[in-house]
Amino acid sequence: MKMPPFNLHIPTSIDEAIEIAKDLDSNGDEFDWVAGGTDLLPNYKWHLNSKKNVISLAKISQLTELSETHIGAMVRLQDLADSELTHPVLVKSANSIASIMIRRSGTVGGNICLDTRCYWYNQTEDWRESIDWCHKCDCGTGADCRVIPNQNTLCVATYQADLAPVLMCMGARVHLISISGKREMLLNDFFELDGMKKNKLLPGELLTHITLPEETLQWNGDYQKLRQRESWDFPEAGVAVLWKKDGENLKQLRVATTGLESIPGYHEDISSELVKDWNGRESIKLLSEQIRKAVKPVQNTWYTPSYRRKMVKVLTKRACKGLLGE
Amino acid sequence: MSEKEKKEMVGYRQQPGKISFSRPGSGGKGPFSEPRDEEMIPESQGGKKEQPWGDHRHDKLITGRIVGKPTSLVDSKWKVTGRAKYGDDIRLPNELIGKIVRSPHHYARVLSIDLSKALELPGVVSIATGDDASNKFGVLPVTKDEHAMAVERVRHIGDLVACVAAEDEATALEAVRLINVEYEILESIHDMKDGLKDSKDPIHDRGEYHIGEANVQKRVFQEFGNIESMQENAVVSHKNNWFFNGVNHAATEPHAVVADWDPSGRLTLYTPQQVPHYVHRALADVLEIPMHQINVHRTFVGGGFGGKSDPFPHEMCASILARKSGRPVRITFDREEVYWINRGRHPSHIEMNLHADKQGRLCGIETDALIDGGAFASFGHVTTYYNGVLHTAPYEIGAFHYTGARVWTNKPASGAMRGHGAVNSRCAVEVGIDDISEKLQVDPISFRLANLLPPNSATITGFRVTSIGMRECLERVMEESGWKEKFRKMPLGHGIGIGCGFFISGSGLPIHWDPNKFPHATVHLKIDMDGGVTVHTGAADIGQGSDTVVAQSVAEVLGLPLDMIRIKSRETDTSPVDLGSYSSRVTFMNANAAISAAMKIREDLLNATSEITDAPVEKLVIGDRRIFRKDDPAVGVSYLEALHKAQEERGALVASGAYRTPPMGRAHKGAAAGLAPAYSFSAYVAEVKVDVETGQTKVEKVWAAHDCGKALNPLAVKGQIIGSCHMGMGQVLSEEMRYGRTGNLMNTDLLDYKIPSIHEMPEVTPIIVESNDPEGPFGAKEAGEGPLLPILPAVCNAVYDAIGVRSNELPITPDRLYKDIEKKCRELKIEEPIDLPSPRLETSKLQKTLEKRAEQHSVRDKERRLKSDIKPYHNGALFGMDPTIPPDEVDESWKVTVIPSKKYLETPRLAGSAWLHTERRKRGE
Repeated sequence: MKMPPFNLHIPTSIDEAIEIAKDLDSNGDEFDWVAGGTDLLPNYKWHLNSKKNVISLAKISQLTELSETHIGAMVRLQDLADSELTHPVLVKSANSIASIMIRRSGTVGGNICLDTRCYWYNQTEDWRESIDWCHKCDCGTGADCRVIPNQNTLCVATYQADLAPVLMCMGARVHLISISGKREMLLNDFFELDGMKKNKLLPGELLTHITLPEETLQWNGDYQKLRQRESWDFPEAGVAVLWKKDGENLKQLRVATTGLESIPGYHEDISSELVKDWNGRESIKLLSEQIRKAVKPVQNTWYTPSYRRKMVKVLTKRACKGLLGE
Repeated sequence: MSEKEKKEMVGYRQQPGKISFSRPGSGGKGPFSEPRDEEMIPESQGGKKEQPWGDHRHDKLITGRIVGKPTSLVDSKWKVTGRAKYGDDIRLPNELIGKIVRSPHHYARVLSIDLSKALELPGVVSIATGDDASNKFGVLPVTKDEHAMAVERVRHIGDLVACVAAEDEATALEAVRLINVEYEILESIHDMKDGLKDSKDPIHDRGEYHIGEANVQKRVFQEFGNIESMQENAVVSHKNNWFFNGVNHAATEPHAVVADWDPSGRLTLYTPQQVPHYVHRALADVLEIPMHQINVHRTFVGGGFGGKSDPFPHEMCASILARKSGRPVRITFDREEVYWINRGRHPSHIEMNLHADKQGRLCGIETDALIDGGAFASFGHVTTYYNGVLHTAPYEIGAFHYTGARVWTNKPASGAMRGHGAVNSRCAVEVGIDDISEKLQVDPISFRLANLLPPNSATITGFRVTSIGMRECLERVMEESGWKEKFRKMPLGHGIGIGCGFFISGSGLPIHWDPNKFPHATVHLKIDMDGGVTVHTGAADIGQGSDTVVAQSVAEVLGLPLDMIRIKSRETDTSPVDLGSYSSRVTFMNANAAISAAMKIREDLLNATSEITDAPVEKLVIGDRRIFRKDDPAVGVSYLEALHKAQEERGALVASGAYRTPPMGRAHKGAAAGLAPAYSFSAYVAEVKVDVETGQTKVEKVWAAHDCGKALNPLAVKGQIIGSCHMGMGQVLSEEMRYGRTGNLMNTDLLDYKIPSIHEMPEVTPIIVESNDPEGPFGAKEAGEGPLLPILPAVCNAVYDAIGVRSNELPITPDRLYKDIEKKCRELKIEEPIDLPSPRLETSKLQKTLEKRAEQHSVRDKERRLKSDIKPYHNGALFGMDPTIPPDEVDESWKVTVIPSKKYLETPRLAGSAWLHTERRKRGE
């Protein structure tokens, strides 16, 4: 399997990276950012929307800062998992990603910006030719979506990254930089419902770091992941539940899901409604059922959509186990 | 030099320099000969090694040096240091890179191929298409249906259309893109059930032998015994319709090949092949050159499992491109191409019916297996038989009915994979026995122990079974797993299950010739002055350790350390013909051939020793690099002295040994399928945890007992058992070749083809049972494939024990199992799966009857394995027939039938319906 050739740019500072991006952009040259490469390079080998230019972030030391409230985009997943400064639920989710070798290379920024995945898309060029391509990588043919036939407006490829749901529940903010300056937003607002667009990053824009609120440590919770094997596999469904208590009383409850749609789902509307009249096991049951109803997976990963939805219910229930105080 | 020696230095031989010659040769790594290890010498030879299963014809050859001791494989250091050269490691000067143009369509007619643009691309050296090689080939001589590249039509996505050789990979890939192929799309077949129907455009045309106008490649009908009686006598029956998804070998090393025509005009093909001889033949057919012009060089093989045992079209492509370009051509597969060449286990619909009578006997098995062959025949002819005949033991059966059919579909071809043809139906039988036992309210191990064939018996299909360690396997796993304390006694979600296996130890018939005309395996030995033994063998070491087992056998017979044995097994130029590494034949056949060659050298050495010492040959024994009088060990000579004496008139000692199977089996059509000189037996117990809320199954522990006759290398046997568990666990829990809605194979990579990871791997306790096979080398039988069979049913049965749910589709992925759990909940009107009841066993009166019968049989079996003058035992004795006479000679209603009756065809089963078609020649066409 051979990657298409590309020019690799290796800036050593954020400014230099932005400058390179600007130059390429002004010449009309398309490019990709590459962090750990564990997502981008396999896709390049499959000739999936590869670009002629790639800007590597590997040598930008500014991006590797890690503290309780600041996580640089280039922090390696294993470093995040190993750090004593990382919240235990985030540790659990980071440790569940792929395998240890991939975690040593893969990064936090890369995981958040992970490309969406689909059985009809993550295939070799020959394979995709045999289905006449698909909407996400149509090779100029205007091909239909192969998951939901007869439409080529929305890509339903699945977002299968583990960190986002936990970070969303924590109220994380993403910090972006581009030639037009810096901006930040809640991670909850970062994603955009379309398997191709995925998020609000503009062309040439870069995710530099995420910040967590000071009060994060007052939150407890759990992350539950569904997959065939305990290593390697992307989440077929993932549920993060975080809560804050005031003594014995549940004060706040947040739920987010991954692996089920083109973007992670944030379900605080459901959970905060239930918190008002919280009744332990009964409420957990209601919550699980409502989260199940809130997600709409499609047939493009290993497990069937109906099973993944049913399991969301089980995962939510299990993630709430700590709430029962048993 | 002493005066005496100086005086002796006379004569022309020692004139030069008048000095004595130094003695050439080596004694291996140890400077001193070690004393004979009496613990390793069998009792029959006066040693201390106990022989509870009796003595063996090879006992007198045992020197106690090597055999039976855990030995690291002789090529392991090459592998662990990275020095081993696999297919893609071969680099020849001036090589070109070959790439293949593959079909993007399931089924299409190739209308035209436009090469012009590709030929203009700088760096492209040569291009070949189907026009360059029109001769057909295939692994079985009866079903040659493959071309190097498409001739007229392509039959599955990924089928070969053309190939390109270029200066580098990028250029070759670009050229592939520039080749424009015009297709006319034909209606493709994906569901194997459709393959049974008449088709407008059958995938292959078999001429006068074509079955109807359908895509039936092979059909089998077999009935043994009184079929009507089985249902009449049955008090309980089991019926299940299974679906087994296809699985791939997924060897670590993808296929890779280098073809090189040397300046003298000969072709050398470097390929990681399990069966170099078949490639050798196929190359000669396709390239239209004599076999002696071809040297097949087997590289190190990075895993075979059956996936590298066919002659492959890419091997032809590389050879054709190399011939056209005059330069070496290397083709290495991407993982996706491995799935496209496939030859994995057939996707199968299997209907399994078992019947038991009131005495707890298996009064009938009825099996119907429809198997999906994909686009080519491969080994499928044999697979179709194996799906039936390989589950007619180890149990005594009242009557047996089997219908099997293999159809072509527009998918990558299925073929032989570890446990060839036996795995799926074995799983179905063993799960059926679990169910039957439950219905009879007896323990399933007791049921099995009371229904086993004895040693030296004949199965219902007439297979000659020699040694059987089945009973011991069952007893050992029952004991070590704590079966009695656990079975049907553990809480919900925690279960234990049993499964057994039976497999051939070498196929009785060589595919390409009459076994009376040419042996199955031949081994050549050569020993020169240095004393090291060069072994020439064509057996292909594919990681299973065949080089080691041959080295061990020779070393044992000659009393030499392993480092004095050098194995030359790579090239057909120097290796005698061997059928290769499939059907678990290598240890049995090749080691037997090696032993017989070594025996000839041994005789030479003993005669030479006798000449030097004046001791009679019968009194001599071989120890560690020393030959001496058994009654007076001080009298003897070193190995080298004996060797040099034997060489005086002949120079290097050479010897050839061969193995052929004895005549055996019945005479009906298809009787040869499944015949083997010996059979292996195994019993596994698996303990699992099932998460009843998610359907996820985790295998926690496996106790795996395998009867391999004699573990020549216990380390390798254990490795095979543990590896088999891993591979079988993949098929039972997570591995499948998944075809999507459009018929495309969806998971052609190792992320989505779910091989169990280290986290999924249970703790496996391998238990070796040694039944001392009379014809096996030192008593050995196979251990490479049989150990895979029992893990599947053991896990299935354990899942049932855990949650009371039986699945009938493999792999039991969590989503499938969860569906079954939901169904069960609905049946029992239970809201939450966590409230499901665990299955429990309250034994019936029959339990005691079975236990008593098992005890009697145990005594019977011990007698039959030790006494030499035993009477014949034919399947049927358990049902009151005279065991000494074949049952069809005793009872008129006991019949062997291989053609379905009109009555059967009124309501055939699924695969049986293949017989509704008439062959073209019988329609007078």
